[in-house]
Amino acid sequence: MGMIKKLVKRRWQRWIGRRIPRADVQVFSQKNIFILPTGAGVVYGVLLLIMLITGINYQNSLIYLLTFVLGALFVGAMHQTHRNLSGLTLSMVRAGEGVAGDDVPFSLRLSAGKDAGLAMRLSVEDSELDSVHVSSGQSRDVVLPIPSAHRGYLRPDRIRIETRFPFGLLKAWSWLRPASAGIAYPRPLAAPEVLSQVDDGSEAKSEAKVAGQDNADLRPWREGDMSQRVMWKRFARSGQMVVADWEGEQGSPHWLDFNSFPGTDTELRLSYLAWLVSDRVQKGARFGLNLPGDVIDPDTGPVHGKRCLRALAVWGEKPPREQDTLAFGTRKAVDDIEQEAAV
Amino acid sequence: MSGMASFLKARNAADSPPVDSIPGAALLWLIGSFALLLLPQWNRLPWWLIAACVVLAGWRWLAQTGRVRLPGRWLRTGIMLVLTGVYVGTVQGRFTVDTAASFFVLAVGLKWLETRSARDFYVLFFILVYLSAVNFLFQQDIFWALLAFGAIGCLLIGLQILNAPDLPDSMKSGWKRLGLLLVKTLPVVVLLFLFFPRMAPLWSVPLVSGEARSGISDSMRPGDISNLAQSSARAFRATFGGPAPAYRDRYWRGLILDHLDGETWRQRDAEPFQRPGRVAVDGGIGPLASNQYDVLMEPTDQRWAFSLEHSIAVSDNVFDAGEDLFRFRRPADSAVRYRLAAEPGRVQASQELSPAMRQRNLQLPEGSNPRARALASELADAYSPIGVVNELMTRFREQEYFYTLRPPAMPRDGIDALLFDEKRGFCAHYAGAATFVFRAAGIPARVVIGYQGGDAGAGDEYLIVRQYDAHAWVEVWLDDRGWLRVDPTAAIAPSRIEFGLREAMAEEGSFLENNLTSPQRYADFAMLQWASLQLDRINYHWQRWVVGYQGQSQMDLMSRLPGGIGLRELGYITAGLVGFALLVAGLVSAFAMRRGTRQDGFRRVVSSWYRLCEQVGVPVRSGETPGVLADRMAQARPAIADTVRIFARTVNSHYYGSPPAKQADQDAQRLKRLLKTMKRQLRRDQQPVSRTSQHD
Repeated sequence: MGMIKKLVKRRWQRWIGRRIPRADVQVFSQKNIFILPTGAGVVYGVLLLIMLITGINYQNSLIYLLTFVLGALFVGAMHQTHRNLSGLTLSMVRAGEGVAGDDVPFSLRLSAGKDAGLAMRLSVEDSELDSVHVSSGQSRDVVLPIPSAHRGYLRPDRIRIETRFPFGLLKAWSWLRPASAGIAYPRPLAAPEVLSQVDDGSEAKSEAKVAGQDNADLRPWREGDMSQRVMWKRFARSGQMVVADWEGEQGSPHWLDFNSFPGTDTELRLSYLAWLVSDRVQKGARFGLNLPGDVIDPDTGPVHGKRCLRALAVWGEKPPREQDTLAFGTRKAVDDIEQEAAV
Repeated sequence: MSGMASFLKARNAADSPPVDSIPGAALLWLIGSFALLLLPQWNRLPWWLIAACVVLAGWRWLAQTGRVRLPGRWLRTGIMLVLTGVYVGTVQGRFTVDTAASFFVLAVGLKWLETRSARDFYVLFFILVYLSAVNFLFQQDIFWALLAFGAIGCLLIGLQILNAPDLPDSMKSGWKRLGLLLVKTLPVVVLLFLFFPRMAPLWSVPLVSGEARSGISDSMRPGDISNLAQSSARAFRATFGGPAPAYRDRYWRGLILDHLDGETWRQRDAEPFQRPGRVAVDGGIGPLASNQYDVLMEPTDQRWAFSLEHSIAVSDNVFDAGEDLFRFRRPADSAVRYRLAAEPGRVQASQELSPAMRQRNLQLPEGSNPRARALASELADAYSPIGVVNELMTRFREQEYFYTLRPPAMPRDGIDALLFDEKRGFCAHYAGAATFVFRAAGIPARVVIGYQGGDAGAGDEYLIVRQYDAHAWVEVWLDDRGWLRVDPTAAIAPSRIEFGLREAMAEEGSFLENNLTSPQRYADFAMLQWASLQLDRINYHWQRWVVGYQGQSQMDLMSRLPGGIGLRELGYITAGLVGFALLVAGLVSAFAMRRGTRQDGFRRVVSSWYRLCEQVGVPVRSGETPGVLADRMAQARPAIADTVRIFARTVNSHYYGSPPAKQADQDAQRLKRLLKTMKRQLRRDQQPVSRTSQHD
């Protein structure tokens, strides 16, 4: 039973994947809009049947007429509900960033075509945004909170957009399958008072080449490189994406170091570091971040803090590939994996 | 007591989730629709039920505004039990469609207190839709029908608000959307209405109503018909194939009362019992022959049909019941149309009156009205039967008899009092008295009741016969001439027979004196009369063509279309229609989509550029600007470097400049040309586009 269910589910998902390719922009048309009666719509159909029988039995023309009017209205409503969604463009403006376990706000843009899109409901798993209206030819930006499960990349498999307008008898829906992923920072945990005087960490020392800004290692951009490390100025000049690999100086009190918490679990360390970063930013202190394989030079300010948090969030994580059919980093994704493991 | 109250309150608090999950405006439309749907039933429902509905709906509205709370479970159950108890007490075990309908209303009323969620809202929506269908069982006038459709409209507006509560200007746009929807679906509705096969009832349900209808009944006491004279309700309408008979000849026979029981005239043989069932409501199809006439009768819940003298049945929903009377096969519980033909030359079936019939029509109760009997024997001694009749009519004509709607009470020996003392009465008094005298004189006689008269409707299309045209007259048997109509009213108040009750009562001023709301009362206001008749005409055609469009009418219409369409073909047509409508809806939306994408031809050109990029081996990365992509493409294929850069610039300026629509079209055209050039350049580049790397 479970096997069949899983098989069907996988088939279904593959089919959806073909219909709705992963992209940050989705234009809805009859190719990718699904439409079905709601529960109320089904009851409505039964009611019409009962009315028809009443009309036949009492030979009452007006009941016939009423039944036909309401029946035709249902078909009209189907058209209307479909049109409400079709022509609409849903695009991901910015995949959000937030703290793991919280809802991460994703910015989405709805642009209506010729017809207005009324009473749209956007939802991801158990988070939803109700009653979004876009007049025809207009755009509207909304923020949809997406529940995250753990730190790292966060990408819902599908963002559902649904409308039941005008009568709630039919629902038309489709999905945006975003290509870009948001980021969930490690959940900050108050770190034990350790100053990152890392003179005892021998392996760290041997690994860390003390290197100044001058002899930064320049290399071409590779998949997976943080965009912050691209030398954008150089890119603007030459059009070539060059990445600077710096190894910052270590051991100073300005450095927040991955290795400062020996014997601690990796995730815990990252949580401590996240807390420390926020703490430093709040105090306005100047600090750098030293992660194995990723070093961020000391700096101050919230922008720098964000950058550090991002580095913490994705450290050791692979960005989701485009073809991945499953959700990534959302609560449901985690549940699914656990279920799979249980089976 | 206070403990009880606080307990109730606590339960309330626990039981009642906030009621704000339904938008107030939506609720208001729902309540409005409920009110509209109660209107047609106002005189059918018990007063307490209407009051209860008002209170319950009002309660729900006050709860919405936050002024009161909705009752908790206990209070709600209490209210339900009380109202159901009152209902059971009221109906006293009678089960008719009427009581079922009022139970339905009660259920709707109670549901108001439980309407908390959107789901409840839908439940009420469904119930109210069905309530409007139930209303159609009782009221089929065009005005009530429009009202019911208006109520349905309100419901649908309510649904729209429920589904988009914060939409600005929701009412106006809601009506507009609904109107457009209705207009677009109208052709399908009309075709379905015409072609949906009108099947016979699946099972037979009588529509027996507990309420007494106004109209003539099968017994007559002297004062009876004058009650009807206060009502201007329509009894029936008649359409003639040829010219309508003169006013004085418009005697619509309904019943023969041949048995005097004390003061009351009855039928000697009660109407035979008939299984209840539905009356066939449409009879008579095709154009009327010159001697035929159609009668569209209002429901009477009785089996008798009204006919002019010497008629024969044409439509098969009436049959000849003997004595020149016609009957339906089932009680007329809805408006019925039937067709008869006048055959004045037809001789009566038997010119012989059987001894049993003679005896029956000479029956009189023992020992009442001695003076009338004395008068009868005096006349019988002096004259032949026809002479007796003429003499009595002369007496009515020449002596001071008055035709009045305000007769005095004549409690003892009423016929004597009428003939010799008071000399004031209405048609029922005189018809009864005359029959008594004829019988006492040995002439077989009987009372006939029905209607006399009928005024032209708007445009002279048909006659309207109203309840105040109800009339009673006499028929006597003369051996050489058969049954002969004798109308004492014609002798006493000829204007009643020539022009109708209004003229006859002009002096007395009693015409419809108790009926202030009847438009017929205000004959002096020409506008009012005109409007009333126009409304009646609209209603007539509504009844005739929409409400009365049933099996026979449908078959008649279909027989005029080519192709011999039967019930089975109608079924096919209906199925085809539904499929066709769905197909058209699909095609229209597909077409609209295509137009939509054509208008956005821009996007299409850009995506075909993307395809071209893929073909030449430059993968499109998401999030890349057109400029960057163009650069990469230029690097890969220097031959098209310039073209592709111009292309990218155009795309950029289009995206960031948000140009007007016309400009956008030009841009798209330009891009198309550029794309063509690019392809040409690529071909000329001697490096054929690799077909193997092509994937889309």
